[in-house]
Amino acid sequence: MGLLQLTRGNRGETRRVSVSAFLVVAPFLVLVFLFSYLPLLGWVTALYDYKPALGLGRSEFVGLQWFEMLVSSPTQLQQIGQVMANTLAMSFLGIATSLLPVFFAIFLNEVRASWFRNAVQTLTTLPNFISWVLVYMIAFSLFSTSGLVNTTLHDWGLITIPMKFLDSDQHVWLTMLAWSLWKGLGWGAIMYLAAISGIDPTLYESARIDGANRFQLMRHITFPQLMPTYVVLLLLSIANILNNGMEQYYVFQNAFNKEHIQVLDLYVYNVGITGNSISLATALSMLKSVISVALLVAANAIAKRARGTSIL
Amino acid sequence: MKTRKAIALLMAPVLGTLSLGACTAAGPEETNTSIDQDWSQAEPITVDVYDGLANYMGIQGGWFGKLVKDKFNMELNIIAPNVAGGGDTLYNTRVAGGDLGDLIVVDKGQQLDELVEGGLLLDASPYYESMEFLPDYDPAVQKLNDGKEGIYAFPTQVSSIKPTESSEGVDPTFGPFLRWDYYAEAGYPEIGTLEDLLPVLATMQDAHPTADNGKPTYAISLFKDWDGNMMVTAKQPATLYGYDEMGFVLAKADGSDYQSIIDSDSEYVRALRFYFEANQMGLVDPESTTQNYDTMFSKYQSGQVLLSWWPWLGQSAYNTEQNMAAGKGFELVPMQDQEIFSYGAEVYGGKQIFGIGSGAEDPARLAAFIDWLYSPEGVNSSASETMGAAGPEGLTWEVVEGEPQLSEFGNKAILQGGADVPAEWGGGAYKDGVSTLNVSAVLPIDVNPETDFPYSYKYWPSYLETVANPLKEDWSEHMGGAATTMDYLKDNGQLIVAPGSSYAAPTDEAEVEAIRNQVKASIVEHSWKMVFAKDEAEFESLLAALQETAEGLGVEQVLEVDMANAKAQNEARESVAKEFG
Repeated sequence: MGLLQLTRGNRGETRRVSVSAFLVVAPFLVLVFLFSYLPLLGWVTALYDYKPALGLGRSEFVGLQWFEMLVSSPTQLQQIGQVMANTLAMSFLGIATSLLPVFFAIFLNEVRASWFRNAVQTLTTLPNFISWVLVYMIAFSLFSTSGLVNTTLHDWGLITIPMKFLDSDQHVWLTMLAWSLWKGLGWGAIMYLAAISGIDPTLYESARIDGANRFQLMRHITFPQLMPTYVVLLLLSIANILNNGMEQYYVFQNAFNKEHIQVLDLYVYNVGITGNSISLATALSMLKSVISVALLVAANAIAKRARGTSIL
Repeated sequence: MKTRKAIALLMAPVLGTLSLGACTAAGPEETNTSIDQDWSQAEPITVDVYDGLANYMGIQGGWFGKLVKDKFNMELNIIAPNVAGGGDTLYNTRVAGGDLGDLIVVDKGQQLDELVEGGLLLDASPYYESMEFLPDYDPAVQKLNDGKEGIYAFPTQVSSIKPTESSEGVDPTFGPFLRWDYYAEAGYPEIGTLEDLLPVLATMQDAHPTADNGKPTYAISLFKDWDGNMMVTAKQPATLYGYDEMGFVLAKADGSDYQSIIDSDSEYVRALRFYFEANQMGLVDPESTTQNYDTMFSKYQSGQVLLSWWPWLGQSAYNTEQNMAAGKGFELVPMQDQEIFSYGAEVYGGKQIFGIGSGAEDPARLAAFIDWLYSPEGVNSSASETMGAAGPEGLTWEVVEGEPQLSEFGNKAILQGGADVPAEWGGGAYKDGVSTLNVSAVLPIDVNPETDFPYSYKYWPSYLETVANPLKEDWSEHMGGAATTMDYLKDNGQLIVAPGSSYAAPTDEAEVEAIRNQVKASIVEHSWKMVFAKDEAEFESLLAALQETAEGLGVEQVLEVDMANAKAQNEARESVAKEFG
């Protein structure tokens, strides 16, 4: 209707409508500007030797020095390479396991005893509301050298020296994946449980008439019906591939696992805030945008070939 | 037109936010620059104290809080980066906001310089003129503000003792301290050098596998909270051979040797190897990798650790009156080849400084407060407790027949584990009321002009008489009759004093600083891995990896700077020794 008015109305009216339409989207444009574009001004820090006490105005302008430093030595490049490998590996592991909440939702939905289903759902959703700091405390009291697990194993005579779960470089990516799955599985399933209740019951009915058993219903009705939701969430998580956050890795990091736990966000934090090299950290964090743009272009090319449309 | 207006309206707050960043707080109008008035009648205020040394965050309470309140009608709100954690985060966010605090305790050198340049510190020269106690230390004040247009900073730990004399009182800062009772059981074995400690520690740990609380005992327990340029616990053995750090360089107190810490034959790597071997022998607490200082401290308190590199760790945690009466406690077990590093008295003041923030509400009162910290009353009640501050006269000590001595209350409060302060002094436990500034304006071993005895009660003849106990007696008997740790070290030529030159390294160039921070992280990471390496081969390969990474990051450039700084420091030490020594 609005569009019709826009094309048919006279010029004055068109302008009035377009102004009010602009005002409707304006708050969101402002938000996008404030939170996505304004912070980019901070990039200018990368061109200075920024000292907080002096402010940007009085800090020394150093041009591209930090960027040169990042690419000048093989050791630097190798460190960044390791950080990128960690970032991408943990993101891909996250994406690779993104089907788990789907299966969890499907199976949970098949549980007939509603008290049990509700109990499971509540218990698996709860961890999502525990902050990473508390998760680490739980991890610490379970897995530290004098934690529950080591003490129990020791008391049973299975081990003589405590096993190092937290301060070891073994399987860091996998243990991190396990923790984030434990925390996020129940929460991730909520959306699919909602989607399941929205599936048209007539589909099940007709399938049953055709003689489908329970597993066939799950395989041929529920699962395909959840796919659109899944694909949308998958695309969103691919867009966030470099944003795997830092809280989890920050609380779990120590000298022993640092090499494999440092993701890009954590590396930037360690260099900038812990190491106090704010300008260098800014230069590093720009890397993220460069890679994101590269991924976007690649995704766009694939979409263009597959669907014939492009978003750019 | 309208659209443009709408955009302009929308942009206004955005631009407003932007320009806010450019604002800095303007200083208040100065009307009166004399600090000489009765502040107890002034308007009550609360001042923010940014204190790089404080280990407590919040309002200062107890007897010291009341003393300050009574004299200045002022409450101290302590802001402690040590408590907040996260390195320089708190400092950076506060300075970026343009207001670090009203009263400021920071390091001299880079921090002081940038605060002056950034306009965050107030020029206190108008107030300095009417100060009463600080002008006694005028050379130190002038030296500290040398090259600055005004007086922005006041030195801490000033002293009139010679710079070639140790500043540390009866206990050195560093030293090998063992559980003396277990060492005695082992038959007082002689320790030739650092590595000889290992078999002795093993014997002690084997004889006492658990502490009184039933938890396992370990010879060594480590922590990571203070790791900076290097793993802090691995630097300590180097101090027993006369070295202290200057960036990545270990410099000997007398300027006779400079080492890069990552060289395979450096004292630092030697210490890492020492810990590695200790760990192979099962002497290192496996919780070392994850625990913090507080956890470790409580282990010392309950007797679960047998070795301490610092008297202020082992002794202060475990040598309670009760334990010492039972003959238990940490005492110095000398290594024959040791040459313990000792900080000389700083004629020009210690590492930290006092300053007044440019946004302070009542700078005159803060100046008066700072001045008071240098008065006999101020030193007694505010100096750091671990250095032997006696507390306020009349409460914890009194002068009897011309000699200061701890009162009955003082004995209970300071030496016997604590006592409650009478209500007229502010109430509460004595220990909770101690100054949380944790900084001494005047060195506590300096002489109090009012009593002609040192401020520190640990030097009073009356104190030395009262602390006799079986532990000290046994130790003294085996140490050739030495009364204190310091006496023993001095008599045996095992102390090497670095003259107090008050040298502060200049600010790093931007690139050097960035490389330094990256190398730091790598050194700390590899050090911990090396200590807990599973075998000799892994230890060596980690060392090689560390050296390779550090070199790749450009450590040469940083070492050059550190080496030059270490030499400049040595020159300053030599010249101050010549001038005052």
